[in-house]
Amino acid sequence: MIEVANLTKRFGHFTAVDSISFRVEKGEIFGLLGPNGAGKTTTIRCLLTLTRPTSGEVNISGIDALKNPQQVRQICGYVPQEVSVDGDLTGYENLLLYARLYQVPKASRTKRIRDALEFMGLTERASHLVKTYSGGMMRRLEIAQVLVNQPQVLFLDEPSIGLDPAAKRMIWDYIIRLRDDFNATILLTTHDMLEADELCDRIAIMNLGKIAVIGSPRELKAQLGGDVISISTTASNCFGVLQRMGYQLLSSSRDGVCELIVKNGEEEIPRILEGLRQHGVATKSVSLKRPTLDDVFLKYAGVRIEEGEVSWKSARLTRRTIRRLRR
Amino acid sequence: MISALRMVNGILTITEFELRKVVHDSSQVFVRAIQPLLWLVVFGGVFGKLRVLATGSYSYLQFLTPGVLAQSVIFIAVFYGITLVWERDFGLLNKLLSTPVPHSSIILGKTFAAGVRSILQAILIFLLALAIGVQLRVDPLSVLGVLTVIVLSGMCFSSLSIFLASMLKTRERMMGIGQAITMPLFFASSAIYPVELMPSWLKVVALANPLSYTVDALRALLVTGDFSRFPRDLAVLILATVVLTVLATVSFKRIID
Repeated sequence: MIEVANLTKRFGHFTAVDSISFRVEKGEIFGLLGPNGAGKTTTIRCLLTLTRPTSGEVNISGIDALKNPQQVRQICGYVPQEVSVDGDLTGYENLLLYARLYQVPKASRTKRIRDALEFMGLTERASHLVKTYSGGMMRRLEIAQVLVNQPQVLFLDEPSIGLDPAAKRMIWDYIIRLRDDFNATILLTTHDMLEADELCDRIAIMNLGKIAVIGSPRELKAQLGGDVISISTTASNCFGVLQRMGYQLLSSSRDGVCELIVKNGEEEIPRILEGLRQHGVATKSVSLKRPTLDDVFLKYAGVRIEEGEVSWKSARLTRRTIRRLRR
Repeated sequence: MISALRMVNGILTITEFELRKVVHDSSQVFVRAIQPLLWLVVFGGVFGKLRVLATGSYSYLQFLTPGVLAQSVIFIAVFYGITLVWERDFGLLNKLLSTPVPHSSIILGKTFAAGVRSILQAILIFLLALAIGVQLRVDPLSVLGVLTVIVLSGMCFSSLSIFLASMLKTRERMMGIGQAITMPLFFASSAIYPVELMPSWLKVVALANPLSYTVDALRALLVTGDFSRFPRDLAVLILATVVLTVLATVSFKRIID
């Protein structure tokens, strides 16, 4: 459904997207996972013909996006990261506006709008001005806006950013239903590991404009080859000792924590601790977890996604936007 | 042919929804009438008593009303670009651009809406002027002419504003430039005093200022009924509007990058 080959986008000397290639199949939920500034949004903007790629090819549903941008836009729907509903119009009007811009035939307009409102659970508030909506409702309305066009491909840029956990869950449920009920192909970007894990059939891990690896969350986690054990210690030689013992280490010690990947972690812990004791390394605590996408990201991108800091910052930005809109 | 239809559909749709917003919040139309009202009642009232300006056989208030009308339109229009910056800061503009309508029709729709919006403004001030006893020509043709000139001027200056917004890109800078240019535009026109009284350098500025032509055309329509310069005024306005809308349409994509 979506084919991207060697897509590159430069802004001056800065390369935002660096020769990436991927395919998304029909009816798939595909995620671009990476920290802010990884080039996810720029990728989406290139696919949507909002910005012209420096080089590369983009094909959507068999249409060459560089040659026929309007045709591509006609079959796509885009929900940007920032709030994109108009607070000074009612919910219904926000949908009517897009039904008209997408040239939905007059005969089916009302029905499509009603269906989209119904689907996103907004029927009751349809005649209210959008500035009175909650953040979660605005996000749902944004999705409803593109639904009136019955798009074949949906682009969702950070669909749950800035939402509280309950609203987040709700949006995830809707995204899955969008795929199941409309057979839409969905490309989303996220820096939220959990979101990528729960929603996406496949993900591409993106960092510094490049795609590091593509696969299903399960595959990617399995490729790590075991459980993640974190050992907290005050000894500075812990890392070296573990290496000499032949373990595969995930990261160097940050704040005196060594992380390693082992098969059958539960059984391995006593052996590791015994080995460390023999080398005179005192340990403070040990923990074991199943690998997460964060660990996968660390393996391929070399850094943690720094979830906390980044998401907090952008969440604050989105919240501020919503607040401004609701004034 | 199909793309022309898409274009018209885009322009009309954007215009309609811009106007729907005004309907939802009509208070802004009244708030924006306060300043012109003060110009008419306070400034016009006091200056009219002085009788220092040679306004021919017409009263100073008659002379001033078209000026205030023009002023009220352009003072709003020069800040119009801020709305666009605002919509860029939200995702609104990006989402609009992701629809299949031609991108130029979005800008044309917005400027056209700004023009139509100014009509509401103009009607209000027109009624205010009549209420305080200013004698104006009110035959249907004049009114039609006034509306045309006002829509053109609204489009002209909102295009200028969008063009500036695409260069300046932030709300703060737009506020600054808006403040900086409104008064010079106003004073370097024939809005509150006849051009003949200006020093020669200012006359040159006034000649290059589209607002002078708006005021001149409105004055012919509302007060003097002397249409000898009207074709010239209208031609200049149309030309300025076309040039500025083209500039705005071409440059506005920069606002997004």
